[in-house]
Amino acid sequence: MAMTIQPVQSDFVGEVSGIDLTRSLSRDDVAAIESGMDRYAVLVFHDQPLTDEQQCAFSRNFGELEVTLIGQLSKPEERRLGDRLELGDISNLDARNQVRARDDEKRMYALANRLWHSDASFRAHGAGYTLLHARIVPGKGGNTEFADMRAAYDALDDATKAEIEDLVCVHSIVFSREQIGFAVRDDGNADKLRPVQHRLVSRHPVTGRTSLYLASHIGGVVGWPTPEARAFIRDLMEHATQPRFVYAHAWRTHDLVMWDNRTTMHRARRFDDLREVRDMRRTSIKGTGVSAMPVPAAAA
Amino acid sequence: MTITTAPLHPLFAAEVSGINTTRPLSAETLAAIEAAIERYAVLVFRDQRLTDDQQLAFSQSFGELEFTGGTGISKPGEQRLHPAFADVSNIGTDNTLLARDNRRRLYSLGNMYWHSDSSFKPVPAKYSILSGRMVAERGGETEFADMRAAYDALDDATKAEINDLVCEHSLIHSRELMGFGELTEAERSSMQPVRQVLVRTHPDGRKSLYLGSHIGLIIGWPVPEARAFLRDLTEHATQRAFVYAHHWRPYDLVMWDNRVTMHRVRRYDNNKPRDMRRTTVAGITPTVAQAAE
Repeated sequence: MAMTIQPVQSDFVGEVSGIDLTRSLSRDDVAAIESGMDRYAVLVFHDQPLTDEQQCAFSRNFGELEVTLIGQLSKPEERRLGDRLELGDISNLDARNQVRARDDEKRMYALANRLWHSDASFRAHGAGYTLLHARIVPGKGGNTEFADMRAAYDALDDATKAEIEDLVCVHSIVFSREQIGFAVRDDGNADKLRPVQHRLVSRHPVTGRTSLYLASHIGGVVGWPTPEARAFIRDLMEHATQPRFVYAHAWRTHDLVMWDNRTTMHRARRFDDLREVRDMRRTSIKGTGVSAMPVPAAAA
Repeated sequence: MTITTAPLHPLFAAEVSGINTTRPLSAETLAAIEAAIERYAVLVFRDQRLTDDQQLAFSQSFGELEFTGGTGISKPGEQRLHPAFADVSNIGTDNTLLARDNRRRLYSLGNMYWHSDSSFKPVPAKYSILSGRMVAERGGETEFADMRAAYDALDDATKAEINDLVCEHSLIHSRELMGFGELTEAERSSMQPVRQVLVRTHPDGRKSLYLGSHIGLIIGWPVPEARAFLRDLTEHATQRAFVYAHHWRPYDLVMWDNRVTMHRVRRYDNNKPRDMRRTTVAGITPTVAQAAE
């Protein structure tokens, strides 16, 4: 059976059928998925009962896997998924598979996933694709929403496009957590938490399409007074996430959704996380296409 | 004098005609305005060439005024206007434009976030009355969101969940959020958090959401959970269906009820003067008992 992609919105989000991701893929399959990603930015694969191993193997078709920051910052005994640091634990479970308590630190940290973001934009190279696999989904809520940053860019007026063309934003994981009132402790990891700079307008390395590169990790614009930068970025975020640019994914067990962080933002929606379980596993491909400018240690 | 109202939006906001606010108004006319604001929450009066004294007189006919001196970062002697005015301009006491990095300008950028005036005071504001003396040619719209419609549109589970929630409001929080930077000790101590209910119930039985960028937490909730939740609620409450965007003409006078609306200003070119003057009618009762000291 040949792989087919059914568009969900004309040029954004494709539903893929006719492929079994638990098996190793042919070069043609991989190329077809990549070309689907170039066109749709988000691909949805239903009914893929992947193991951790299979998810990692499938993901490696698209590049080198990234080790998650939260994995790096956690102690071995705190990791539910063992020492596989490239597998992100996007769940509300602790290392003993118990639902995390209301005031659990990791829960607080993860709540910032409810703000619009692009994965790892706080890292020098950002992330390329992210692949998220649903093992257990809650009965209600817990959708992931995606916003198309290409369409959001295209819809800006010419004056705004000209104004933002050369702007450079400062991204930091500490900032997005601060916004929700959670202080990230550096615990000797200051180097991993240091802010990075990325251009606000980016061009996709393959398609050349222009996108906004936005995220709640942005705390400033280089050369702008901070309050002016933040208010402006908020306005842009609001523009970029208006309903016409957004697809809401209602998860089914064994869905695999993969998205391009260079051309989309996403966020998780609320669910009853003190009573229901939501267990998702994430793999990310190291970013290659984002122009990055790390802030020198002694930043001006 | 008879007044007529023409709705500006399917849910709320109306343009009022047949009124000259520069002159004393009869009890009957004032009652008609109060009835109109009760219904529409936002009223627009066109071509009202008010002096400051006339704006004060008009405003005082609806109750005691708030004095803005002593809130925020404005100090006596550094103000361009009478202390009953909030100076919502980009003009300094020397009548020149505030520089890009001017502290008062940066502070006022907090008005670009959705808020309800004086929600950070123990007794928050009732009406605000904003006169557009010099308006922006492009941008600078004031947007209003109808918090009654926003409440009504919530599902029953959410209504039940939020019914008894109490939030803490403070200028410290909204300034932190916008990256305003250091506040002085005196400023911080004038910005002590106050408590407000999240759902307000009005004499006519209608309910409304009481939100705004000044909220830093919900009593009894972990802070990050509260903030993520409040963001979702604010997004719901400010969806376009509930928003009226006011495009200013010179000498528009806009009056709104802070108890049932939020508002914000949109971006405008800081290289051109925008002179807006606000008077604020004080509220009468707190929304909830304050925490014991």
